[in-house]
Amino acid sequence: MSDKHGDEDESKKAKMHLKANDLLCVNGCGFYGTPQWENRCSKCWRAHQNEVKKSQDFAKNKSLLSFDQFQERRKSTTESKSRGIKNLFKTSPIPEGGTSSPTSTSPAGTPTRRRDLSPDSLEARKQFTDFLVINLTTAMAQEIARSVKNAVGKISEMKMNSEDMSELVMSYYQYLGERIGVHSLFNSPDCKVKVEDVMDQVEKYISTYRIRSLHWVTAGYLETKLVFKKQAVRDKIDEAISELIEINAKKSAFEKLECLTRSCKAIFEALKESESATSADEFLPTLIYILFRGNPPLIQSNVKFISRFAIPSRLMSGEAAYFFTNLSCALEFARNMNHESLQMEKTEFEAYTSGHLAPPLSVINSACNQAMYVLEGTIETIVTVAKKAESLAKNITNMNGKTDDDLDKMLVVIKETVDFYPTQEYLNMKESIFTEEQETADLLVSLSRQSSESGRGTLSSTADNTQPSTPQPQTDSCINESPLVTAIKEEVSDSS
Amino acid sequence: MPDMATEQKSFKFKVVLLGEGCVGKSSLVLRFVENKFSSRHLSTIQASFQSKTINIDDCKAELHIWDTAGQEKYHALGPIYYRGSNGVLLVFDITDRRSFEKVKNWVLEIKTCLGKSAEILIVGNKTDLEDERKIARQDAEAYAETEGAIYMETSAQDNIGISEAFEALTAKMLDRARTAPTEATSANRSIRLIDDEERDGRSKRCCR
Repeated sequence: MSDKHGDEDESKKAKMHLKANDLLCVNGCGFYGTPQWENRCSKCWRAHQNEVKKSQDFAKNKSLLSFDQFQERRKSTTESKSRGIKNLFKTSPIPEGGTSSPTSTSPAGTPTRRRDLSPDSLEARKQFTDFLVINLTTAMAQEIARSVKNAVGKISEMKMNSEDMSELVMSYYQYLGERIGVHSLFNSPDCKVKVEDVMDQVEKYISTYRIRSLHWVTAGYLETKLVFKKQAVRDKIDEAISELIEINAKKSAFEKLECLTRSCKAIFEALKESESATSADEFLPTLIYILFRGNPPLIQSNVKFISRFAIPSRLMSGEAAYFFTNLSCALEFARNMNHESLQMEKTEFEAYTSGHLAPPLSVINSACNQAMYVLEGTIETIVTVAKKAESLAKNITNMNGKTDDDLDKMLVVIKETVDFYPTQEYLNMKESIFTEEQETADLLVSLSRQSSESGRGTLSSTADNTQPSTPQPQTDSCINESPLVTAIKEEVSDSS
Repeated sequence: MPDMATEQKSFKFKVVLLGEGCVGKSSLVLRFVENKFSSRHLSTIQASFQSKTINIDDCKAELHIWDTAGQEKYHALGPIYYRGSNGVLLVFDITDRRSFEKVKNWVLEIKTCLGKSAEILIVGNKTDLEDERKIARQDAEAYAETEGAIYMETSAQDNIGISEAFEALTAKMLDRARTAPTEATSANRSIRLIDDEERDGRSKRCCR
C-alpha cells in the first residue's frame, strides 16, 4: 500500500517537473504514458482495461463466490492461522477505488469466511496427523503425510475448474488407495483427505436461488400425503429440514451423506405418522417439498461436492447412495420444474415464480404456514367436540324417552308377572285380606242380623264403605308400587 | 462395485424398479423382502430402499433394490436412478395396457443409457386379477424376447412368482458378472480414472 502512495506522489512531482523519465509508461515498455491512463502507454492501458473489465465481469457473474476468492480461500487453508489473520487486516483497509490491486473486487463477506475456514483446516490437519501417528508406523505416516500435503498443495496451486479438480482428486484417491492397499490398510485415510479439500465445494452456487423462487410450491401441488395437522408429522419435517441444512455445515462427504440419511429417515417417519405408504411414490415428492421448504444453503454445491469427492463405491451402493440419488433427482426436478410438471397454466406458473402473483390461499396451499396448521387442527378439534356434545345431548334425550317407555313397559310386565306368578307374600296378603274380609263379612252378617232385628236398609251401604277402606293401610305398608296398589285394589274389589 | 470379493463369490447388485404408478412396484419389494402384503401397504419398514441377500448356486448375491417414484412427472428423472445399476425390473400391470406401453418406453431409454450393461426383467404384475387381463401373456413374452429380456408374471397379493422373478434376474446378473467381471461392472469408473491420471500429468506440465 505504501508503495502505491509513493508512486502517486512521484507522479504528482513528475507532472510538476516534467522529467522525461517520468513520462514513460509505468509498465516499462519504453513508450510514453499519459496521466489519464495512469501513466501507461496506449497499448498497456488497453490491456490493463481489458483485465479490469474481465475481473469486474467475473466478480459480477459469480458475485459471491468468484474464482479469485475461491482460489484465495483454498490457499489460505494451507497457510498458517496467523498469516490468515494478518491477511485479514491487510486486505480490509484497501480503498475500493484502487484499480491496481486485484483484491479490491472482493466483497466484504470474504474475510470472515477465511477466518472461519482457516482454523477448520488446521483442526483437520491436526486430526489427520494425529490419526497417522496413532495408526501407522512412522515411516509410513511420514510418507502419507508428505504425499497428502503435496497433493493438497498442488491442488490449491493449480488454477483449474471444478471438473478438472474432481478428476484430479479422484485419481489421487485411487493412487493413494493403491499405495495404502499395498500396506494393507482400510480406506479411512481417504476420508481425511477430503477434509482438506472441502473448501472446493463453494464454487458452485446455483440452484439455491432457483429453489427460493419456487418456494410457493407447497405440498398440495406436489401431491404429497403428509398430514400437517399432526404435531408429530410437523416435528419430523422440521427435523428433516434441519438435517438437510446441516449438510452444508459438515466438512467431509461422508458426514454430509450421514446428514442426508438422517434427513431421509425423518421423512420416512413423517410419512409413517401421516399413515401413508412409505414407497418411493410418496418419498420423492416429500423430499422435493422439504427441499423447497427448507431451501438448504448451497445444496447444489454440496451435491456436486459429494458426487465429486466421495469415494465412488459409497455413491454406488447402500442406503446413503439411494438417498443421495433421490436428492439428486429432487434437485433435477426442481431445476426442470415447469408448468407441465405441476399441471397448471404456463402463465400462472411464471407469475408465481417471478413473484408477480401470489398463489391463491387455498386450503392445501396456505397449509405451508405452521400457525395455520395449528389453527386448522384446533378448529377441527373444536368442531368435533361440538359435534360430540350435540350428539351426546341427543343421546341423553333419547335415553330419557327410552327410560320412560321402559318404565311403562316394565310396569306392565311386572303386573303381568305378578298376575301369573303371585309371590308367597302376595298370597299371604291376599289370604289375610280374604280372612279379614271374611271376618268383616261375618261381622257384617252378625251386625246385619242384629240390625235386621232392629230394622233393614243400612246393610248394603255400610258393607260397601268398609270393604275397600279396611285393606288399604296394610297394602301401603307392604308394597309401595302404585300400580301394584291398584292391582291389589282391583284384586280386592274382584274378590269382594 | 459388484465384485467386492470374487474369491468368496459374493456379489453386490443394484437393482432398480421402474414402472408406472400403481403397478405394484413397492408391493413387489415388500413381498420379496418382508413377505408381507397389504392393500394399503402401511408397513413399518420403508419400501423404497431394501437390500436382501440371496444364494444362487455357490454365490452370494446382495441385492440393493431401489424403488422409484412412478408418477408421470418424475419420468424424466429415471436416468439418475438407473445409472450404474446391474439389473432393472420393469413392472407393469397386466390389467392396464398403458403401463405396458410405458414399459416399452423404459426399455428403449435404458438401452440407450446403459447399453447392455444391465439385465432387464419385465414383470407383469397382478395376475390375481386374471379376469381383467388386458395384456396377453404371449404378447408380453414375445416382446421381451425381441428385447433380450426375461418375462415373468407375478402377483404381489398372492405371492406368486416374486422370489422366482428376483432369482431369475440375479442369476442373469451373476452370469454377466462372472463372464466379464471387470469389463461390465467397473468399466466406467476405472477407465475414467486412468484417463484422469493422464490429464492430471498434462495439467501439471501446463501450469508449472
